[in-house]
Amino acid sequence: MNALVRTFWFAVFTLDEYLRSGRIMVELAATAVAYYLFFRRWTTPMTPDYFFSTAGLFMLGLTVYTGSSILALGDRPAGYVALARRLGRGPYLMGLYLAVLAVSWGMYGAVCLLVAFTNPLRSLDFIGWVLGTIPLLLNLALLAAFLALLTPMVLPAPWRLAVLALVALAFSGSLIGGATMSSLPESVAIALDVMRTILSAPLLPAFTGFAISVSRDYSGASAVVPVAQLFLVIGLLAFAVYSFAKREIVFSG
Amino acid sequence: MDVIELDEVHKSYDGIPVLRGVSLRVPQGIVYGMLGPHGAGKTTLIHLLLGFLRPDRGVIRMFGSNNLHQVDGRVGYVPERLRYHNRYTVREYLWYLGRFSGLSGATLRRRVDAEISACGLTSVANRPMSALSRGMVQRVGIAQALLSEPDLLLIDEPTASLDPEGQQDVIELLAAVRRRGCTILMATHFLDEADLLCDRIGILHGGRIIAEADTCTLQRPAGSVVITVADMPAAAKSALTALSPAVQCNRHEITLTPNTPELQAQVVRLLLDHGVTIMTLAPQRHPIEEFYLAAVSGHAKRDRSSEAPTSRLQGSEDVLLHELLRQEEQQTSEDQRSKHL
Repeated sequence: MNALVRTFWFAVFTLDEYLRSGRIMVELAATAVAYYLFFRRWTTPMTPDYFFSTAGLFMLGLTVYTGSSILALGDRPAGYVALARRLGRGPYLMGLYLAVLAVSWGMYGAVCLLVAFTNPLRSLDFIGWVLGTIPLLLNLALLAAFLALLTPMVLPAPWRLAVLALVALAFSGSLIGGATMSSLPESVAIALDVMRTILSAPLLPAFTGFAISVSRDYSGASAVVPVAQLFLVIGLLAFAVYSFAKREIVFSG
Repeated sequence: MDVIELDEVHKSYDGIPVLRGVSLRVPQGIVYGMLGPHGAGKTTLIHLLLGFLRPDRGVIRMFGSNNLHQVDGRVGYVPERLRYHNRYTVREYLWYLGRFSGLSGATLRRRVDAEISACGLTSVANRPMSALSRGMVQRVGIAQALLSEPDLLLIDEPTASLDPEGQQDVIELLAAVRRRGCTILMATHFLDEADLLCDRIGILHGGRIIAEADTCTLQRPAGSVVITVADMPAAAKSALTALSPAVQCNRHEITLTPNTPELQAQVVRLLLDHGVTIMTLAPQRHPIEEFYLAAVSGHAKRDRSSEAPTSRLQGSEDVLLHELLRQEEQQTSEDQRSKHL
């Protein structure tokens, strides 16, 4: 049995368990509330920009919940029974990841269907919807891959802290600026700027992906952004699978 | 051929040694019982064999290969704690696990049906795992391990959290599994279990296998009784000896091997008739128990006479043992709570 088939069956197994656990009700309830608050027909018609920006942010939040819940299903002693078979560690982690994507993308699909039937966007055709959806879905895949990487079974605690610290440093531009920045010695400020620039580079596809999703403008270099998003997803997953394969497995609980 | 070979395997957690040079050979086709108290490192050893953990030092070979992932499909595993994915029915769960083992189609259905039947799960096959008794859940554990017809079965404390009835059920099931002929490594701290199921036993204590023996060399006729007396006159002794060849006695001790209620009554009556004071009457200690206690006490004496660093290590082991016991208690109360809910 090849690794892809094993991955598929483990994803189905995890998804099946997640649905039976009833936790999917949280996603369904959150989606219903989000639809009521943001996407149903109010007095003014909804614009495509508003739809993609709001749906993009809402789905990111929902993916954090879904990712944490499903990845936690994999990090418990019942996993030993699955891993003691021919399943393999790569298909185990990828199966969990695909289950997260299935729920997250599924919920986005549900939002789109609700909007299409109850509050259709007159100025958005199918092509426009596809162009806005691709970077949005890739951003969800990116976030899910990042969550998989930060699971305790994949990275040890010091590494997780280090990754989070690097992300915080990359985002520090919005926290450390203006007066604080000018009060720092010039050499420190330059060093901080250089580090921010380097560290924020991997985050660029995610941010530009969000911008393209909203604008659906693929002119110029923007066309390569989804490709960059895809490569970043593959890179993060490869790192997560490699780290999981190298680690000793001591599940939580 | 040795199915399992361990040479000087060391393993520690955060600097606390758990295994300190375990060397072990398990030949093909036997049932090897690894005896040891909670926290002795039995689960660690099994997780090393499954490739979940890696040894700090030493060599592990299974089926002659150093690459444990090559033999994944040949090994079945029954975990210590009854922690399975309990939202599925028994049949669904076995079906999924069979999928992960590389089975599919008609073969998968046939294997699932066969193990459901062989493990006595037919009546509960379509019930959710969460609705089963612990004994039944452990039967599912054994069924899933046998699903891919493994050459080697690793069983960790199969009856640890079961009531006496559940224990008996599982022991009977394992006795049936034993007849299939696959090699079994079973970790346990129940001596009766080892006596009933194992061909060979090894005692894991202080992070090492401190003694090994074939159980056939430890066998003794069952049902022996030892009567201790204050002092026995010669007349009573000769009367007892004449009573039956099953009676062996010296001045302070009479052994009845094998014991029967009639013989025991006769001996007691004779002793009372001769005015002998009976101090105790007790079943003779089991030979495996004697072997275990002798090995552990001998090891403890050696430990006491050794140098200070050993004592320090023993101290760290106590910390680990304490932590493992705490986790076990916590797990038991969690299990009870979830059962209650």
